[in-house]
Amino acid sequence: MKILGKLTILLCGVLLMVFAMEFPNWGDPESPASTHLSPYFIQHTMEDTAVPNIVTSVLADYRGYDTMFETTVILTAGLACFLLLRIERKKIPHRYYRHEPTGVTLRMEGEKYPKNSAVFQRMDANWVPYDFVISRTCRLIIPFIQIFALYVVAHGHHSPGGGFQGGVIMGASVILFAISHNLRTSIKNFSEKTAALFSVTGVFIYAGTGALCLLFGEVFLNYSALAPILGGDRVMARSHGILVVEIGVAVAVTAVMIWIYYNLSSAGKQDEGL
Amino acid sequence: MTRHLPALIIVIPLLSALVTSGSGWFNQKAPFRIAVSALLLSLLCAVLMLIQVVTTGIAMEYRMAGWAGPMGIVYVIDHLSAIVLVVITSVSCLNLVAQRKNIHAEFKDKQGAFNALYVLFTAGLIGMTATGDAFNLYVLLEIVSLSGYALIGLGNTRAPLATLNYLFLGTIGATFYLLGVGYLYIATGTLNMAELTTMIPKLMDSGVILFAFIICVTGLFVKMALFPVHGWLPDAYSQATPAAAGLIAPLTTKVTVYILIRICMTVFTPEYTFDHLDISGFIVLVAVVTIVFGSLSALAQKNVKKMLTYIIIAEVGYMVGGFFLGNRLGISGAILHIINDAAMTLALFLAAGIFIWKTGGESRSDLKGLFAKMPFTMAGFVLAALSVVGVPPTCGFFSKWYLISGGVQAGNYLFVAALIFSSLVNAVLFFRLFEIAYFEPFGEDEDHAHGHGNSHGSHHHVGALAIKEAPLDMLVPFLAACMALIVLGLYSGTIITNIIQFAIPTGVI
Repeated sequence: MKILGKLTILLCGVLLMVFAMEFPNWGDPESPASTHLSPYFIQHTMEDTAVPNIVTSVLADYRGYDTMFETTVILTAGLACFLLLRIERKKIPHRYYRHEPTGVTLRMEGEKYPKNSAVFQRMDANWVPYDFVISRTCRLIIPFIQIFALYVVAHGHHSPGGGFQGGVIMGASVILFAISHNLRTSIKNFSEKTAALFSVTGVFIYAGTGALCLLFGEVFLNYSALAPILGGDRVMARSHGILVVEIGVAVAVTAVMIWIYYNLSSAGKQDEGL
Repeated sequence: MTRHLPALIIVIPLLSALVTSGSGWFNQKAPFRIAVSALLLSLLCAVLMLIQVVTTGIAMEYRMAGWAGPMGIVYVIDHLSAIVLVVITSVSCLNLVAQRKNIHAEFKDKQGAFNALYVLFTAGLIGMTATGDAFNLYVLLEIVSLSGYALIGLGNTRAPLATLNYLFLGTIGATFYLLGVGYLYIATGTLNMAELTTMIPKLMDSGVILFAFIICVTGLFVKMALFPVHGWLPDAYSQATPAAAGLIAPLTTKVTVYILIRICMTVFTPEYTFDHLDISGFIVLVAVVTIVFGSLSALAQKNVKKMLTYIIIAEVGYMVGGFFLGNRLGISGAILHIINDAAMTLALFLAAGIFIWKTGGESRSDLKGLFAKMPFTMAGFVLAALSVVGVPPTCGFFSKWYLISGGVQAGNYLFVAALIFSSLVNAVLFFRLFEIAYFEPFGEDEDHAHGHGNSHGSHHHVGALAIKEAPLDMLVPFLAACMALIVLGLYSGTIITNIIQFAIPTGVI
């Protein structure tokens, strides 16, 4: 059976290679892919959508419908992780706390513990003391990472970037915070519910913008219908509409990244974790 | 308003899935209600579109974001997609209504996520059916697959392993399809199905097109569980919870067969698929092996749900074989069987869901004495079973009739023999169940024990048993599905002459 599997893989690989011989040359300007649609996009993107970055306009406008569902795929992944992994936190009989000033470890029964206390620190099974250097350094860089993320989102019109990339950077900044401190601190600042609701909201911004165009009497996702709200003429409205949906994508991607991290790193308990 | 129906049918479920998921954090009853109303609206859109397409005879076209043809993404509702859309939305809606209690019992605090994934799965299927863009189809296939894995994965203890297998094979299938679309794009420079149709005839001898066809169709075969690549299906479907199995089992394989028909007829044109390539005979042979294998494996199962999953595999063989006969009768039969088999599988899985809900077991012997206990459920089950066997006037008979006529016309008697063999095996399978349910006495279950014990509080006498039917909100959708089997059977002539005839290109004789 194993040999059969390997033979099948080999056969597939050989077939792929053989038929790839018939491909047009790499970067051939005469190939169907370069002569059929590309010239239209290169010539018309600016006058159609007022976006200098052709990739962004193809992604979020000409084929914006695909991108809406790509965002939905990400949300689906978040929901799937939640549905499969999330389990209820068990009642824990006792927990260990560390009294910071003295370094004494105490065992306390039940959940009896002064909330928001500065001197007691809860210890997990895999507890390690905060590394001062790491946590401070991360605190220093995280704001810059987040500003860069916003820049990437906003600058998708002109340079490589956009909602997906910016959202991933933003999500990574929160995950970095969770790794450099601990999962609990990060959940305290950005709760699971927030993550879940934000991920839905992000997709809703995208699909809702499309549905709004329907309400204005145009076809789904035709941002030029939104000219009265967004200001500018119908072409500028497309450009602005792209920004709105890119923000939606960024919100969704950020929140789903964080949500998936919470569930994966704590095996669904969201109590103790990395 | 009618102009926007092709968008509304998918936008409504998508937006409601988002609201459903959010509302689950505040209220555990809202998600179910939102999901049901969204699916009902979607069903309404599908029916309206079917009526419009049938009365005007012209396919509806919808340009997403306002961009035409190859630049943007176009949705096309023709006769074939309109009828499949009605099937998808009605099956999904009926199953959700029927499974309210099951969902409530199994996903206590996660109803938001479950209902959202359920609606997203349906929306994905709707999009796959309505789209006129080969790449958009892949994006929606991703949504369907991902939400499907999640829905199946939360079944009984062995479900995660079955889902992992499904995930591996399903990903291979989807990737093959994507590779095929990539090859098509390299050869033609477009992703629009209508434009591909006009381009393929000029490129018939191109090796890239040939490989695109092979790899697309192979990917779809993996996704629909044709014989050598069927391994993921029985475990995945039988380990899933009834709520998920009742959605996924009737729809996934059937919609994949629809995609196969769409790809072969609309993208690659019938001339290329049937005349230019000499593969039809081979694929029908594979389908025959699938039918025989599925039927024999079903015969070997003790578990009722597992038996049903092997019947699904055999039915996939019916449709693929019928389509690749390449004549009008065979293709009509395959399309009609998409509709009928979705209804039959829904009825069977709803019945299985009710049995599990009432008896707690999945094995054949758990059906003992159910005719006396649940007469209505069993009547519906008998109807569904007769339809799978192919007894008139149920719908299963008519699609099988078309398939067999197609086989005779094509001179492919092996396929005809496989169909008849499979019907006989199905008869044996189901009558064995009826025998257990009708003749075998009850075991020493709680009713008896109760009757012997404290007699003053008990309504039951020894040997006599009150009817203990399934709850009404399970029973009514189930009986509706069973009635649909009869209605589909009685109107199958109308469906063929008014809808399916126009779904097949005129070039196919």
